[in-house]
Amino acid sequence: MKRSKRRTGFLLVCVAPAVILFFIFMIVPTINVFRMSLFERGAYSPTETFVGFQNFETLFQDTRFIQAMQNTILLIVVVTIITFALALVFAGILTREKLRGQNFFRVVFYIPNILSVVVISGIFSAIYQPENGLLNSIIGLFTDMTDPILWKGETLVMLSLIIAMIWQAVGYYMVMYMASMAAVPLDLYESASLDGAGRVRQFFQITIPLIWTNIRTTLTFFIISTINMAFLFVKAMTSGGPNGASEVALSYMYGQKDAGLYGYSMAIGVVIFLFSFILSALVNRATKREALQY
Amino acid sequence: MKMKKILSLLLAASLALGLLAGCGGDTTTSQDPGNGTSQGTEASGSPASDVTIQVAALLSAYEETYPGMWEEVCEAFTAETGIQVDLTVDRNIEDVIGPSMQGGDYPDVVHLATGRDAGLTEQFINDQLLTDITDVLSMTIPGEDTTVGDKIIEGFTETSATNPYGDGKTYLAPMFYSPCGLFYNAGLFEEKGWEVPTTWDEMWALGDVALEEGIYLFTYPTAGYFDAFLYALMNVVGGPEFFNAATTYEEGIWDTPESDALFEILDRLADYTNPITPAQANDQDFTMNQQLVLDNEALFMPNGTWIVGEMAQAPRADGFEWGMTALPALEEGGMGYSYTFLEQAWIPSGAEHVDEAKQFIAFLYSDTAADIFAKGNAVQPIRGMTDQLEGDNQLFYSIYDNGAGAAMGSFAAYSAIPGIDNTTVFFEPINSLVSGTLTIEQWKANIISATDQMRANLLS
Repeated sequence: MKRSKRRTGFLLVCVAPAVILFFIFMIVPTINVFRMSLFERGAYSPTETFVGFQNFETLFQDTRFIQAMQNTILLIVVVTIITFALALVFAGILTREKLRGQNFFRVVFYIPNILSVVVISGIFSAIYQPENGLLNSIIGLFTDMTDPILWKGETLVMLSLIIAMIWQAVGYYMVMYMASMAAVPLDLYESASLDGAGRVRQFFQITIPLIWTNIRTTLTFFIISTINMAFLFVKAMTSGGPNGASEVALSYMYGQKDAGLYGYSMAIGVVIFLFSFILSALVNRATKREALQY
Repeated sequence: MKMKKILSLLLAASLALGLLAGCGGDTTTSQDPGNGTSQGTEASGSPASDVTIQVAALLSAYEETYPGMWEEVCEAFTAETGIQVDLTVDRNIEDVIGPSMQGGDYPDVVHLATGRDAGLTEQFINDQLLTDITDVLSMTIPGEDTTVGDKIIEGFTETSATNPYGDGKTYLAPMFYSPCGLFYNAGLFEEKGWEVPTTWDEMWALGDVALEEGIYLFTYPTAGYFDAFLYALMNVVGGPEFFNAATTYEEGIWDTPESDALFEILDRLADYTNPITPAQANDQDFTMNQQLVLDNEALFMPNGTWIVGEMAQAPRADGFEWGMTALPALEEGGMGYSYTFLEQAWIPSGAEHVDEAKQFIAFLYSDTAADIFAKGNAVQPIRGMTDQLEGDNQLFYSIYDNGAGAAMGSFAAYSAIPGIDNTTVFFEPINSLVSGTLTIEQWKANIISATDQMRANLLS
């Protein structure tokens, strides 16, 4: 009895630092975000006025916020789908097929992940340059480029962001899936091929169902990280321009803080929080399957 | 199973929490040790004082030209008055002093202009958190027997850039000024035998001639550079009266013939702008747009005198030579204008040592300080300063002697409105106009509806 009490005490002491830190640096600021969203104040102003839900009412009529939210959703949907498709296919090929230089490909695909977003943005800015950029130079070999394609212009800027974000993320998820694919027993594939199932069929009927739990977890993780990454890419690549065409929710929130609307930007924060939370819950629900054992 | 569900919900919640953790509360931003210097300055043989004031200054192109400029001024101040100075100079000074200011710890003097992306100075203006420094103008400069007001060139303490509330009180000290205008390759003009246009009609004619040679008339680094351009253009179309009315959001001002002239010029200018400009008009690629002028792919760009230092290392066309002109006049015999970009120094109302801070600001106008600043090519609005300039600077600062009107001031302060600010309403849309996704009528309509709100929120 005494021993178990001492044990509990010891455990409490062990856990306390993490819990306290988590409380101070995660819980308190988050509660603060919710509280601040009901006030109107500048970031440096000592006074604050309670405005209730007025910030939220304004928010849903703010066309620039709606545009930023649309861009965010576009990124989440397109980047997620393409990244996951590519990561799964590449992982499938690299684990299941006997390829020359397999390790080389693994390293090459993973490299973008160890580069910082600022470096990636720099690389892609150079690639997208209208006049001497890599992309336009290559396209210029085939067609006339007197009017260069403006990759970071108003119409194509979101596409350019999408390409950079996919390039950055594919390697990481590919490695994750390779790890879980390697755990799928080989005899399943063997018997499937005896039954006459081809490579593609094996991929969809054996590989994907068996690593489904992994896909589900990473999907939730990815959606939330895309919201974050989009901010970094926008900050380092386009500054939200031209004329707000590439503004995403978090960069808009940041900009409104700089405009002296601290409470308003916190309201944006609350909306993004709820949005990402609900979206994760929905994705979690929609992807629910009976867990397969092997 | 239920436990698992709860667990996964909790996990998702904590992930989402991570998203927001950075947004709330008082976050601290780490300071780049490469840029930031923070040290006290000690001077021997000066009257002892136990007061230390905190000075925060932006590390700009001037400090880069003459590293240690601010430190030297602070040392001279300590030697003169005995007041110690704790100096912070940084490229992103907002990130360095911002968090501690949110915690209630304010520097005593801040040297930071309006018009920066982070808009820190604007926030202090809008929230009315500045100390009234009108009395500094009648203070005697430490170590001299003239007053500050006697030394500052007339007109510099009478605009909205220093008196943001239009009540005759000065809240921001006019520090470094730089004429902004259209920069071009003077060598190219000489080679082709072109004249620098003095009216907008000549400008369009030149645009057609240049386009035949494959050179666009115009480019701009980022839409943010349109502030100086637009302020000057307002003066061009309607003189200071129109400028004052427009920058105080007077009702109906955008339905006048002057406003029509302004929008017509902007509309035509967009047609003559190098079409790749908007794709590079961001904080990362703006030097590529400046490069267009160096490479003779565009004739003019709005800019300030710092461009010479900024592009010093950039490759350029043979025979390139910097030239600068004011914005052309509306018609023959009219007046061209050049906007004066002004950096300000101010005292937060939360500052601890206001009296000493005022002495420091007064000292910034001393001959000693002015000479140190001049080494970094930073020019203060002090009588007789421009006579001492050399090289390109002499040419640039003589723009007003050559007949151009000086435009000064900026949009009047209003309490912040969600989704609406000067940049998104007045400057950024030029990108869409050049890209062809916005018509001039739409832009005008947006300006009218936005200025209605700005007028309703005016501070004064």
